[in-house]
Amino acid sequence: MAQYDLTYKIAPYLERHLVFPLLEFLQERNLYSDDQILKAKIELLAKTNMVDYAMDIHKSLYHTEDVPEAMVERRAEVVGKMKMLEEAAAPLINFLQNPALVQELQSDKQSNLQKLNERHQIGPNQIEALYQFAKFQFECGNYSGAADYLYQYRTLCTNSDRSLSALWGKLAAEILMQNWDVALEELNRLKEVIDSKNFSSPLSQLQNRTWLMHWSLFVYFNHENGRNAIIELFFQERYLNAIQTNAHHLLRYLAIAVIINKRRRNSLKDLVKVIQQEQYTYKDPITEFLECLFVNYDFEKAQQKLFECGEVIENDFFLGKQAQEGSFVTVPLRDEFLENARLFIFETYCRIHQCIDIRMLAEKLNMDYDDAERWIVNLIRNARLDAMIDSKMGTVIMGTQRSSVYEQIIESTKQLSIRSYMLANGVVAAAAATQGYNL
Amino acid sequence: MVHTVEQVKNSMKINDWVSIEENYDKLNKQLEKVFRVTESEVVPRVYIKALVMLEDFLAQALANKDAKKKMSPSNAKALNYMKQKLKKNNKQYEVEIEKFRENPESEVEEDKDSEMMDQSETESEAGYSDEEPDKIIGFSDSDAGDEEPEGGDGPWEKQKTRKEKIMDKQFAKDPSEISWEMVDKKVKEIIAARGRKGTDRAEQIEQLTYLLRVAKTPAQKLEVLMHVVSAQFDVNLSLNTHMPINVWKKSVQNVLSMLDILAQYPNIVLEDAMDPEMENESQKGADYDGPIHIWGNIVAFLERIDDEFFKSLQFIDPHTKDYVERLRDEPLFMVLAQNVQDYLERIGDMKAAARVALRRLEHVYYKPQAVYEAMRMQSRSVTTGENIDDGDSELDDEDRQMTKFSSDMKGPPAFVSVLEIVPRQPSFPELSRTLMDQLLSLIYRVGDERTKPRAMLCDIYYHAVSEEFHTARDLLLMSHLQDSVQHMDISTQILFNRAMAQLGLCAFRASLISEAHSCLSELYAGGRVKELLAQGVQQSRYYEKTPEQEKLERRRQMPFHMHINLELLEAVHLVSAMLLEVPNMAASALDPKKKVISKNFRRLIESSEKLAFIGPPENVRDHVMAATRALSRGDAEKAIEVIQSLDVWKLLPKKDHVLKMLKGKIQEEALRTYLFTYSPYYDALSLDQLIKMFTLSESQVHSIVSKMIVAEELHASWDQPTRCIVTHNVEPTRLQALAAQFAEKLTVLMDSNEKAYEAYTGGSLDGPPAGRRKESQDYASVTTGRWQGELSTAQGKQSSYSRYGSTGQRSLFNVGRTSQSRVGGTGGYKDLRSTQGNVRGGTTYSSTFQSTRYQDAYSSVGRTPYQSGSSVRGGQTDASGRMVSLTRSGRF
Repeated sequence: MAQYDLTYKIAPYLERHLVFPLLEFLQERNLYSDDQILKAKIELLAKTNMVDYAMDIHKSLYHTEDVPEAMVERRAEVVGKMKMLEEAAAPLINFLQNPALVQELQSDKQSNLQKLNERHQIGPNQIEALYQFAKFQFECGNYSGAADYLYQYRTLCTNSDRSLSALWGKLAAEILMQNWDVALEELNRLKEVIDSKNFSSPLSQLQNRTWLMHWSLFVYFNHENGRNAIIELFFQERYLNAIQTNAHHLLRYLAIAVIINKRRRNSLKDLVKVIQQEQYTYKDPITEFLECLFVNYDFEKAQQKLFECGEVIENDFFLGKQAQEGSFVTVPLRDEFLENARLFIFETYCRIHQCIDIRMLAEKLNMDYDDAERWIVNLIRNARLDAMIDSKMGTVIMGTQRSSVYEQIIESTKQLSIRSYMLANGVVAAAAATQGYNL
Repeated sequence: MVHTVEQVKNSMKINDWVSIEENYDKLNKQLEKVFRVTESEVVPRVYIKALVMLEDFLAQALANKDAKKKMSPSNAKALNYMKQKLKKNNKQYEVEIEKFRENPESEVEEDKDSEMMDQSETESEAGYSDEEPDKIIGFSDSDAGDEEPEGGDGPWEKQKTRKEKIMDKQFAKDPSEISWEMVDKKVKEIIAARGRKGTDRAEQIEQLTYLLRVAKTPAQKLEVLMHVVSAQFDVNLSLNTHMPINVWKKSVQNVLSMLDILAQYPNIVLEDAMDPEMENESQKGADYDGPIHIWGNIVAFLERIDDEFFKSLQFIDPHTKDYVERLRDEPLFMVLAQNVQDYLERIGDMKAAARVALRRLEHVYYKPQAVYEAMRMQSRSVTTGENIDDGDSELDDEDRQMTKFSSDMKGPPAFVSVLEIVPRQPSFPELSRTLMDQLLSLIYRVGDERTKPRAMLCDIYYHAVSEEFHTARDLLLMSHLQDSVQHMDISTQILFNRAMAQLGLCAFRASLISEAHSCLSELYAGGRVKELLAQGVQQSRYYEKTPEQEKLERRRQMPFHMHINLELLEAVHLVSAMLLEVPNMAASALDPKKKVISKNFRRLIESSEKLAFIGPPENVRDHVMAATRALSRGDAEKAIEVIQSLDVWKLLPKKDHVLKMLKGKIQEEALRTYLFTYSPYYDALSLDQLIKMFTLSESQVHSIVSKMIVAEELHASWDQPTRCIVTHNVEPTRLQALAAQFAEKLTVLMDSNEKAYEAYTGGSLDGPPAGRRKESQDYASVTTGRWQGELSTAQGKQSSYSRYGSTGQRSLFNVGRTSQSRVGGTGGYKDLRSTQGNVRGGTTYSSTFQSTRYQDAYSSVGRTPYQSGSSVRGGQTDASGRMVSLTRSGRF
């Protein structure tokens, strides 16, 4: 299943620290050999300041107690630097740790800065130091500290670029601490900034959007309301655009989010279109499933793909989160996906058939006869299906879904009245405008 | 002539000026005739002699005043007349006359010899004789006095050069005495003669080549080389003929040795604009360190050489051996271009380097890997196998040979011998893609407004040739070239059309029928494919071309080896049109609102239906028509048979694969057509029967039928247990049908109302979109939204796909494949154009009207030729003629 693994595609768009959980997950799933993953981990850590951790991994990778010189040196260097930064930022941190003083700060940034400067001798240098220190903290793995400092930094910061990177830092820290509510807030804030800000080049804006989408995967698939939000975000045209140019693999997540979201049926059509457009660059069982079902109406193949989808989901970090229920280990998202996908198949099937053999259907849906029958009965009872079961023949007979000629005519004329109303309004408005102009 | 002179003599004796005048005029006329016959402008001795005689006699007559008085009035008048004429005329021949007077007889023989020589020399020159008549007119027409002094230049020049020749011989005898100044002076002299009427160009080259050998300093040598090359270009003055091939080869060699010098002495700088002060800088010797400025523009030379190569290929008959021989010279040019580019990169002139890179690109882009490989092997064998090909290798050593030759025989050894530093062997990378990438990345980085789009088009073409349809399409759409190409020069437009054609072929091979059709349909819309692709001149029924236009058109023809096979193109176009149109026709046979996919195809069908008797198919069109008839009956087998019998398919690289694909497509479309046409007459259709009828697999039939059901093209549904399609045909009552029609008409009315509203207000209506436009309108608004916000996320990719309709983006040219994983690594193609982002919102509505169909992703791609056509239709009338011949799509 390693061929469908997206880690290597996603990783470039993530923070180093964010890749870490992905690797951990891969290690659990045993898709790759342990050595490979450990090596990747060390490489990942080499650029961060989490030296101690890197040392541990090194030991377990090579089964030795020795640690390379470079690592030891780096450790000393990191500790030294940390001290230095801490000192530099100390006055400001002291100030911020005093809640009484912090309350004095007002919403106006300029006056705050002035006040700080006058009363506490805290100038831009200290504020800069705070940023550096926060960054350093983050690199060392102290996310909560970093998040706090960054939050405070943002209230003082005037540089918009810096403030943006502080936001990114905060988001990363929150994600790593798994504070999903806060992370979602940060995410939205960041999105606003990205959409509103005038970037130097459209290219970097695109880049930022792509990053945002990747990072959002962490949040959306963990937050309870994330599934709606992900569809909303990804279907915004600017983001869809970014997906199609930069990150086709995100289609997988979008597809899954759409399938498991019962209320979002209408976005399915758009999704299928996008998938079709991009099928020459990106393909995985999930998108293929949708294609089989909604483009080719090839139910056999869809069934087959559905089976593969299950595995893909299990092996995906964002999707394959496991839930413990007693002694069972289930992947809730997978089950939900399969259930919905089955429903899709059935619905589509019903649309083009007027008479279906339940036995065959059961086979297609991976159920036994009784289950299938019960399932269909439930569907009919919930008024989601206009059909009857002929239990003697073992078939489902669909109600006719054709609209009568009358309906068709009513439908088309109804639209006409709306349109002419609009037109009339438009003419009136235009006339009023010109009159006003003439006067 | 001699006879006339005798007559003059006789009348002189009797002092009859009237007859003298008559005879004199006769003499001049005869002279003219002589000139015509011999094609030389050296005045015959006899004539000069007569002139001298007349002059003397005239002087005598004038001196003798008594005699003058005695003359009859007519005689006196003639005398005066003669006096004036002779004065004027004799001025031209002053030199000759002088000479003649100096030694009346002795030179006669010798001169005649040289005359003969000159004659033969001049005869060898092309276009020389053209100038003669003008001069003669100047001679005989005494009123045109202004021209005469000019006309006199010819012989004078001739003599001078002859003198120079003698001087050269002196030089040759004593090479060591030649100083820099002498050479310099000589060069200047020769240059001064350049461009004048009557200068023997071939001789000039010879002289310059000689001077090259005696040049004193490398800088001077370079200077002389510059002049040699320009002189070589001068050999052929006409725009319509090409430079002689051997001269071409020599000039290539000369430019190469120029590069040698430049490589050896990096302190020599070539400059376009020249300060007069710097004129003498070439005096500085080889050991001089400072920068030496020399006038010259090596890029211009290179481009000229390329143009000449192109031209020669245009003019050589492609079916002869010459053509192949000529093609073999291509590597030679590639070497040169490569070296020039290296040089330019070394001196940091990136703009020019990009131009050169484009030239190289244009020699590579149309070659598939196999052809490229052949060129590579050929170039290698040429340089390794010495003297096998008399062209390249011999000339490669020209420098060396020349020095050897000169030291052995008579000339001095070259003073400045330059080592061959610049490689003479082309180094082609193994894959043409690698070469393309190298060149492209350079051009995208530093190219200018013209080179970039051209390079982009070459890239698209290349991708299309190498079966990468999607990459090519993405490139095309992202670059927004189809919007901007109308504003470019004609040759770029031709390139664009070529790229589109190739893209269509590529799509066809990749079995993307509708894409192929939309790429090609516009090309065929006007029925002037040949013209659009610059592959031959087409006569138009409606419109006569002026000779100039025809000439222009001829000049931009593509050489034969770059042609795209027109028959194949037509076959692909018609077959894909057939596959799309036949089911469409069947579907909407009874529909009042017919959607026409291919107008061109419809026209063909109509005309073939008019035929009373249908003969066996002969050309591509007949074949496709026969297949169409079969297909519309649902007879897949017959259609396949007819289509496969086409000869042109063998031109396809993967013939079997394509034919198999075609077979499948035809079967599918036949099924669809069958269902469209006959389903109203059936109550139920069995799946198995359909499978048998169209020899398709069960899943295919199922998929097609299901698709049709879902799209509500077929009012039916499956009956799964019995494996049947049950149709639900409800015949509407008359009242119902009328009501439906009425509603339909109302909709049309509404549409036109809205259109009118938009036209007047310029804005669109907001609010709930209506009816069938819902979808496209959504897209349009959405796209503009995105574009407004994003201006130029550098990726107009989507806009491509369907939503081309929205005009909002029309004015954006921002391309850029960003650093995506697809390109691999960083920066593929960055900002083709500066982002000029004035997005026009608002007008989305009107344009979306056109693209209600989601599928015509390409509509705008294909639309381009047509659009430019329409813009040109206006242009035609004001006789601008600029793009006329190119893009008139001929919708009269």
